[in-house]
Amino acid sequence: MTSLSGTGSGRAARRRGLAARAGVAELAILLALVAIFSMLNPHAFPTLTNLNTILNNAAIPIVIGVGASLVVLTGRIDLSVEGVMGAAGMAFVLLSANSRETADIGWLAYPAALAVGAGLGAATGAIHALAKVPSFIVSLGMWYVGLGIAAVLFGYEMIPFLGNEAAVAWPTATPLGLPNSFVLALVVVGLGWLIERYTRLGRYAYAIGNNETVARMTGIPVAGFVVAIFAFAGACSALAGVMGSLALGAGSATVGVGMLFLTLAAIVIGGTPLGGGRGGALRTVTGVLILSTLYNGLILVGVDPSIQSGVSGIVLVAAVIAAGWSQRARLRVFK
Amino acid sequence: MKLLSRPDELRQAFGPPAIFAILLGLIAVAVPEFLGGGGPAIIAQQATPILLVALGQCVVLCIGSIDLSNAAIALFASILAALTLGPLGAAAPVFCLIVVTLIGVANGLVLVYTQIPSFALTLGTLGVMQAASLVVTGSNVVYVMDNMDVVGWLFTVQFLTLPVAFWIAVVLAAALWAFLRFTVPGQGVMAIGFNERAAGLSGQPVNALKVLAFGLSGFFAGLAGLCVISISGAASSIGLGSDLLVPSIAAALVGGTAITGGVCNPLNVVFGAMFVALIPVGSAAVGVNPQAQSIVYGVVLIVAVAATMSRARHGIVK
Amino acid sequence: MIQTGIPLQAPLCPDARQDRPAPILRLSGLAKSFGPVAAVKPLTLTVGRHEVIGLIGENGAGKSTLLKLLTGVHQPDAGTFELNGRQVRLKGPQDATEHGLGIVHQEQSLFTNLSVAENIVMGAGRKGSASTRGGLYRWRALHREAAEVLARIGSTVSPATIVGDLGFAERQMVEIARTIHVACRTAERQGGAPLVILDEPTSVLEEAETAVLEHEIARLRAIGSVIFVSHRLEEVLRICTRIVVMRHGELVADRPVEGVTEADLFRMMIGKDRHARTREAVPPMTAAPVLRAEGLTRTGAFRDIRLDLHPGRITAIVGTFGAGREALVRALFGAEPLDGGRLEVAGRAVAQWSPRLAIRAGLAYLPAERGVESAVGGLSAARNLTMVPQDRGWLLSPAGRRALAEEWFSRLDIRPNLPGQDLARFSGGNQQKVVLAKWLRLKPRVLILDHPLRGLDPGAGATVNACIRAAAAEGAGVLLLADTLEEALDLGHEILVMRDGEISARFDRTTDDPTTLDLLEKMV
Repeated sequence: MTSLSGTGSGRAARRRGLAARAGVAELAILLALVAIFSMLNPHAFPTLTNLNTILNNAAIPIVIGVGASLVVLTGRIDLSVEGVMGAAGMAFVLLSANSRETADIGWLAYPAALAVGAGLGAATGAIHALAKVPSFIVSLGMWYVGLGIAAVLFGYEMIPFLGNEAAVAWPTATPLGLPNSFVLALVVVGLGWLIERYTRLGRYAYAIGNNETVARMTGIPVAGFVVAIFAFAGACSALAGVMGSLALGAGSATVGVGMLFLTLAAIVIGGTPLGGGRGGALRTVTGVLILSTLYNGLILVGVDPSIQSGVSGIVLVAAVIAAGWSQRARLRVFK
Repeated sequence: MKLLSRPDELRQAFGPPAIFAILLGLIAVAVPEFLGGGGPAIIAQQATPILLVALGQCVVLCIGSIDLSNAAIALFASILAALTLGPLGAAAPVFCLIVVTLIGVANGLVLVYTQIPSFALTLGTLGVMQAASLVVTGSNVVYVMDNMDVVGWLFTVQFLTLPVAFWIAVVLAAALWAFLRFTVPGQGVMAIGFNERAAGLSGQPVNALKVLAFGLSGFFAGLAGLCVISISGAASSIGLGSDLLVPSIAAALVGGTAITGGVCNPLNVVFGAMFVALIPVGSAAVGVNPQAQSIVYGVVLIVAVAATMSRARHGIVK
Repeated sequence: MIQTGIPLQAPLCPDARQDRPAPILRLSGLAKSFGPVAAVKPLTLTVGRHEVIGLIGENGAGKSTLLKLLTGVHQPDAGTFELNGRQVRLKGPQDATEHGLGIVHQEQSLFTNLSVAENIVMGAGRKGSASTRGGLYRWRALHREAAEVLARIGSTVSPATIVGDLGFAERQMVEIARTIHVACRTAERQGGAPLVILDEPTSVLEEAETAVLEHEIARLRAIGSVIFVSHRLEEVLRICTRIVVMRHGELVADRPVEGVTEADLFRMMIGKDRHARTREAVPPMTAAPVLRAEGLTRTGAFRDIRLDLHPGRITAIVGTFGAGREALVRALFGAEPLDGGRLEVAGRAVAQWSPRLAIRAGLAYLPAERGVESAVGGLSAARNLTMVPQDRGWLLSPAGRRALAEEWFSRLDIRPNLPGQDLARFSGGNQQKVVLAKWLRLKPRVLILDHPLRGLDPGAGATVNACIRAAAAEGAGVLLLADTLEEALDLGHEILVMRDGEISARFDRTTDDPTTLDLLEKMV
């Protein structure tokens, strides 16, 4: 039920609320990381090349994060991102000009890949909402289904390389001063922000995450909106899969490997708690930038790159703990 | 007493063996030579690590939580065993089991102290374990150089045509079954799964039992890791055993464990694990592309959880 | 039907100007039973326009069931239900609002993360509002729409404020506005007026906030009518134009407020004032209390509670919902934290406290919410009965469990006599007996009972009451939160009255002989 903040919510509390809503603390963390790594590694870290590397690395998780944070806003979770990326990425490669010469449907390969992702997402959402199965377990299953689809598409033949050189070079080009991939990610973020701010889909996501019982009482068709949100998240993951395939220049079932941890950790550290109701796509951008800067900085300092998933895991748990710390109570049921 | 008078009780008791028998029957019809040759032994060998991880998982599911990290812990245990068998010899398995049990206990302690959702916590642990596996192996395959005989007998010695490790896992399942049915902490674990608040208000040590469940999950994952090293003689972060998570959860669920907690029968998890191990054979028999295996695993997981979700519990599912 | 005839200045719903006074609500013969228990007996009630009706009654008098019938949460077993002249069959609170009948609960149902305007418009029903048509939010139109509604009830809250930043009273205004927004629109369309039910709206408000609410109610009265449910009788008398009293599921009084005093209301709520039914000998107070509390305090729940439980004596605590007695007994058992005070069990001061330690010290606690907090459905009745851990090792003994279960099944007449059956398959009364047996078999020093008779039929209730007396006779100090004042009078050797988190009166039956009216006067 609704928490009572007392009858006299003072101006100070309101200001604290505003600061939290604006994500000041997260931005401060990001700036602090930049400052620390610039001091530790003044030659390699604060350079334009390195900035572009960080932004290019951040693009894919940001795109995933736009959809995934909408899912988290409703209090659900989507663990299927790596599988959906694999399936949609492989579908994209095989439908484009490639070294296997499977099929080339031109630009239609892009919407086709997005449709694959949206379909998988909608399936996750529908099974979750209609069969009343927790979303984490449905999406865990869907992760494997996606990986399986990707593996079947990959088959036993040689790696399918993309034929369109221009498309492959596009993400890392910097005609606007920033890598194209990052510009595209910003466009997706803008779209996500518009959805969250100006559409019923987005506003109801906040409402459902805040208090699902009230949402049902108010007559919001929760199941329908949840399915739509999962479908949108699937499409975002699919776009990320396409971007990943372009970056590789080839099709791979494991194009999304490591992205789940990174995105989830970024969502929570950005300020969208797993319980839902607060945060959003813009906050997730900060979260992704924090993590990308952290990895980049650590690697430049000489840390083994293979600890990346460990860092994500620790950040994820720490952020979840920090977000839920005040709710601890005796006899509280937690699963 | 009419203990099995209701359909859901019947389903819980005999569903898993029945499902396994049906799949086995289908395979026997489609591929008759499978049962005659070394098929059963191979299935038992593949089922053993899945079963061990699933046994740990079913205890955690029994308290209403989930452990997404135990498959990664199993892999870490196999890597640890590969690294320590040479220098430590017979002490290496003990060392590995202690380490991974402590990792499980740490999971449980963090869980009860911070009260965060178990899937989020163990997802984090999963990431840490993956990184640990990569760092410890230097991203290479680690071969067992010496003392392979310390663990090798698990799958070379056979009993009733099946590897002895499989029988050990079955005995452990029976022991776990007896633990849940006939001991004070076991009954407490089930009570927590059914009604956590009531269990706490009846004086059950809820936090200690949760730590115990996660500790058991780590321990069983360690055993699974030892099986992996016994089978392959080598370990790496992407090698055999790196793909146990979804199969083991599917095994626990097909074995009749309810994801909502309380309902858990380790003996039926044995059938669940054998069912999951049969999936590759079965899907090949009906002509499914072997590369589609993970699709089948994913679908089995989703169908199993949807079929075993207790419809009696209404309310919001997230 | 009573028309107040007070002249209205500038009615805000155009329809209110019509002088044809069709009643907003007409119930005739409305009834609801749960199993054998008649919660609302056939009841007839008419609400006209511009009325403020005070609905009062003791806990368990049937008020909440009536409200649930009115809002479509429950379906009536019999009777007709008319809103603005049309017979309706409501599917739920949202449907009720769309029919022009809104309810504002004490437990608020707002989205704290959204703005005031969104909350108001969100309730606009399936058809939505003009400012969100097509699934797109036109924020300026949305704010204008909400501002109009807020102006209608005279609220100064800004539509753009996030609800979580508002105080409790302001949130209540938002709830009222949301309800009015839809209810008024429907009522206007159908040529009627809206009806708003305020369920215990003042119980958490400060005085100044209550004044704002009263102003609000006056505004609502200009638009339609209000049903005001409250325990605070002086407010009911001040705010309402008409009083409706419920007792034991019946509507026992329906009269204008003029000339009614608080004492009259007490009498109407209680019916025949009475003393305890029995005048048995009250057990003497032995020297040492089994539980002694001094200055117990928990912020926001109760403060400065002094309490002594003596072996062999039953202490009953009475109080309205929200008086803090539930929180107090949970804190005594260690289920909720304490902010201050001193607690002694059997002469030993308590430092660390949890249910587990409390049980070791000899306490037992029967929670009110059986399904959530005491009965473990899925485990057998016998396992439930033996679930409290004892220091007898790690192994369960199926034979011992069976013997114990058989003993208690026959002692408490638990049916069916199948201790191995899943507890969830027993009836409520028998589940309660199993849970009670779980504690009684431990021979507790202190037995805390939180509404032990809730949801039980009279037969099971009598058995449970006999058990409570027997436990006291065997030397337990019993602390009872009773459902009704009669129950407290009949069982309690000592009766404490709680009001707003404090003990407002103590009656010791060795010297005092309080009546139900005495208790009620100290409660409200």
